[in-house]
Amino acid sequence: MSAKQKTKSKEHRTWKQDFLMNKWLYILVVPIFLYFFIFSYLPMFGLVMAFEDFKPTLGFLRSTWVGLKNFTDFFTGPNFLTILRNTLVISLLGLVIGFPLTVVYALLLNEIHARFFKKTVQTIHYLPYFVSMVVIAGLIIEFCATNGLFTDFMVNVFHIKRENLLQNPKYFWGLNLITDIWQGLGYGAIFFVSSITSVSQELHEAAAIDGAGRLKRAWHITIPGIMPAIVTMLVLKCGMILQVGSDKILLLYNASIYETADVIATHVQRMGIEKMQYGYSAAVGLFNSVVGTILLLGSNYVSKKMTDNSIV
Amino acid sequence: MIEKNTPSRIIFNIFNYGFMALFAVACIAPIWHVLMASVSNPRLLMGTSGILWKPLGDITWKGYEIVFQNKSILVGYANTLFYVAWHAVMGTLCTLIAGYLVSRKSFKLATPLMLFILFTMMFNGGLIPGYMVIRSLGMLNTRWVMLIPGLMNAFYITMMKSAFEQLSSSYEESAKLDGAGPLTILFRILVPLVKANIAVIVMFTIVMQWNSWYPASIYLPAERELWPLQLIMREILIQNDSSKVLMGSDAMAKADFTNNLVKYCVTVVGTLPILCVYPFAQKYFVTGATLGGVKG
Repeated sequence: MSAKQKTKSKEHRTWKQDFLMNKWLYILVVPIFLYFFIFSYLPMFGLVMAFEDFKPTLGFLRSTWVGLKNFTDFFTGPNFLTILRNTLVISLLGLVIGFPLTVVYALLLNEIHARFFKKTVQTIHYLPYFVSMVVIAGLIIEFCATNGLFTDFMVNVFHIKRENLLQNPKYFWGLNLITDIWQGLGYGAIFFVSSITSVSQELHEAAAIDGAGRLKRAWHITIPGIMPAIVTMLVLKCGMILQVGSDKILLLYNASIYETADVIATHVQRMGIEKMQYGYSAAVGLFNSVVGTILLLGSNYVSKKMTDNSIV
Repeated sequence: MIEKNTPSRIIFNIFNYGFMALFAVACIAPIWHVLMASVSNPRLLMGTSGILWKPLGDITWKGYEIVFQNKSILVGYANTLFYVAWHAVMGTLCTLIAGYLVSRKSFKLATPLMLFILFTMMFNGGLIPGYMVIRSLGMLNTRWVMLIPGLMNAFYITMMKSAFEQLSSSYEESAKLDGAGPLTILFRILVPLVKANIAVIVMFTIVMQWNSWYPASIYLPAERELWPLQLIMREILIQNDSSKVLMGSDAMAKADFTNNLVKYCVTVVGTLPILCVYPFAQKYFVTGATLGGVKG
């Protein structure tokens, strides 16, 4: 009888029985719970400051309640449309240009058959991903200076005016895109490279016997084979459209290019940490979190429906 | 599979191999440039633009001498090493325990805890409320802010959970019959079985921590003594201000422009360790990137 009781499934145990059985686990849960409670859930409760004229000295509970004022300030403020546009443009450029390039790169890499060469170039192509953003941004600043290497190139090839490229708002989107591609192409393609190898070799061989050339086989076998992977990635990227990587922009931008470089995350950081408008910045952050969560759950749902893959 | 070498195939191959090689050059060239600039003659360096393929003038180590004698840079380096080691050990340990807890089938709290953790992946309070919490805990400008927040995240815990779930429960049951407690089971029996997954997490943690600058820039504005190397590099490379770091370095170095070398030398010193490690750790990153894409 007692043996039978021990093997009772957890649904049939009382909490007391479960506690006696898993004493150690109950003790270990405490620090894990506290960690997430303090660093993830307290900030969520802290979002109440988005509805307050928050003063750190008064705290969350005693600051003056202002209702939706911070939100109306943001939506009717001079920056709203600009930063929303910048966020969307920078994300969409990555999605429309950067993302397909990653797939094309993976397909091209798959056509390299010299193994040592393939391994070597692949390793080298990962390299920029592992270099710190501070160093990358330092290089970009050096190469885009008035007499920098990239400026020289642009002046000689496209005959633009010689100037510091990071001081002119009209170049920022392009520079950001090119450097993102340079840094992320090799690493971003890993997922596709590994799904290409799982496409059936038999299909390829059969098609080759039927006289299908490389291009035809890439189009009719490889691409349909990795389509689920492509759709999954694409949908998830759509879900993260508001989460522009802000650390690179924070390192690169300056007051003269806010017009094109300021995105939601950088706006929150500047207004909140530097200008100490805490309530307002928390409101912008809350707007970003809510829209972000809706997009994430939506894209996750679509991905599940279309390919059976999901992240949450 | 044997391929016929048709003319179009040969042309395609030339372009494809050419592109791959060219892109490889584009990936290495900027880093190589920095490496060469760091040992160049600083006076000649002032007047040139373009990628350096070899050092300008005679090789000089003066820049490195300044870097390795500079207290701020050395302290930054030591801080980085400490933060990296702490997160690689403690962060992984906590992730391991959390992953173990949420993967226990015979534990009533496993599922509620997992949902509690997963929710943080979907929604977060954002930068400012997070900052306020840390501020009211009195952690601003203390070392704790670099050690405690960021110790765990939902993503690695999910990864650990699925690693544990893929193991057969027979290992655990036989150990239980032999009277082993849950911690003995975790560290003696399960950890060796999931060491590949642990390696992925450790590798990612090391690289991310080594390159991290943003949390320190927000939470340690006033404590230069606690800055990781990346923040010192930011001051020199991005804000173009080496005066604070080089305060008190001798007048000679200023007069012969050696100070200009410092920005290259500090980049090399701060980047080389990671670049030496990553080719060997590559396979773990491949696994990580693949897992990061999809959880089935």
